[in-house]
Amino acid sequence: MSEAAILTEGLGKSFGALAAVSELNLKIQPGAVYGFLGRNGAGKTTTMRMLLGLVRPTKGSARVLGLDPTRETELIRILERVGFVPQRKQLYGWATPAELVRMNKAYFPRWSDDAAARLAQRLEIPMNTAFKKLSIGNQSKVALLLALAQGAEVLILDEPTAGLDPMMVDEILRTLIEDHISQGRTIFVSSHHLGEVEQICDWVGILEGGRLLLESRLEEIRQEFRLVIASGEGLPVSTSTDLVSATTDGRFQRYVVAREAERFAAELRTHGATILEISPVGLRELFLHLVRKEDACTPGNVGAKAAPVSSFS
Amino acid sequence: MLLHLNPSSGVPVYLQLEAQVKQAVAAGALRTGEALPSTRKLAAELRINPNTVARAYQDLERDGVTRSVPGGGTYVADGLPGLLKSEKVKRLRPHARQLAVEGRQLRMTREETLKLLEEELDKLGGQA
Repeated sequence: MSEAAILTEGLGKSFGALAAVSELNLKIQPGAVYGFLGRNGAGKTTTMRMLLGLVRPTKGSARVLGLDPTRETELIRILERVGFVPQRKQLYGWATPAELVRMNKAYFPRWSDDAAARLAQRLEIPMNTAFKKLSIGNQSKVALLLALAQGAEVLILDEPTAGLDPMMVDEILRTLIEDHISQGRTIFVSSHHLGEVEQICDWVGILEGGRLLLESRLEEIRQEFRLVIASGEGLPVSTSTDLVSATTDGRFQRYVVAREAERFAAELRTHGATILEISPVGLRELFLHLVRKEDACTPGNVGAKAAPVSSFS
Repeated sequence: MLLHLNPSSGVPVYLQLEAQVKQAVAAGALRTGEALPSTRKLAAELRINPNTVARAYQDLERDGVTRSVPGGGTYVADGLPGLLKSEKVKRLRPHARQLAVEGRQLRMTREETLKLLEEELDKLGGQA
């Protein structure tokens, strides 16, 4: 495959003593739809802002389409080719969407008036109402229209569906698939709506406390990842690198393993465990297991050490 | 084609798609030579990643349910003898299991259970 759409190596950002993002290694292939998951404050927005030159990294490096966002000249080329829909839309509040379209098109060599007109109609955007007077949903749609009409190769979307009703979410998903994903273009999207992520993404990364706990193809999670529930006293936390998370609840242990669950279960049995269940693990469940720390059976969730389990094939 | 997905069912979406297309073919809702929607169109319709649809279409072709024409779409394959073998086995297995379990609970011997089954098959007569 050609050069990564987004690549970070040891990327970090500290605000004083607070490390918002640490040692982040992301590799997002062109054409991937990458769901970036994490709790509030996990560092998702800071990461996105570093990719767009809005925040300066304190460690490591980032490349977007092979370009370095900390260099002024390269940043301009990134901004031409990457569309960003931030969570807080900082557009000129007094301007109408129609005016925003006119202002934006001057900056983007690949701007498409056709796309802008088509999207305005399909998304039913009131093009002549001041931006600040639009509902949150309509504001999101305007931001998305601008990003898509700019002909962006990569879309960076920070919780694009937050606060939207199901009908609007549905329209936005459809638009993203028809106008962007189907053209083989890349999306890097953060979201708390794991159902949507499961629908449209093919990669997920889970961030917690500024660190990447897990990065995997969604397909691999569906096919290989298993939740193993066992009961028994003093079960060891296996040294297997395939162990993603281990939590305990009284006599019951819950393990999430990245592959070869049967072999893992057999190993537990040799330690006197009774295996109660081996089942596929949904994204929501996986997320909760990974970020839930309070009932970990080891100091800290072992998942924090096990990641990343990804392999680019 | 009326396809519907349940993303939270735990069954991978591409498998849900495959199963529904197979069922539609088996039930005659999709006829030989009929075109399936393009990958992009179906992905947009169902709000899922186009790769997921592509994956399901690949599997369907591998299973002989569909054939694709280079550069021009996916069609229901011809000469499909009703349900696929694997599909038949999948549907019948729960009944076979039921028979085995009930037979065992009633303390029937293996031969007695099989004989019963054979008798029922004989009653149907006709084909081998």
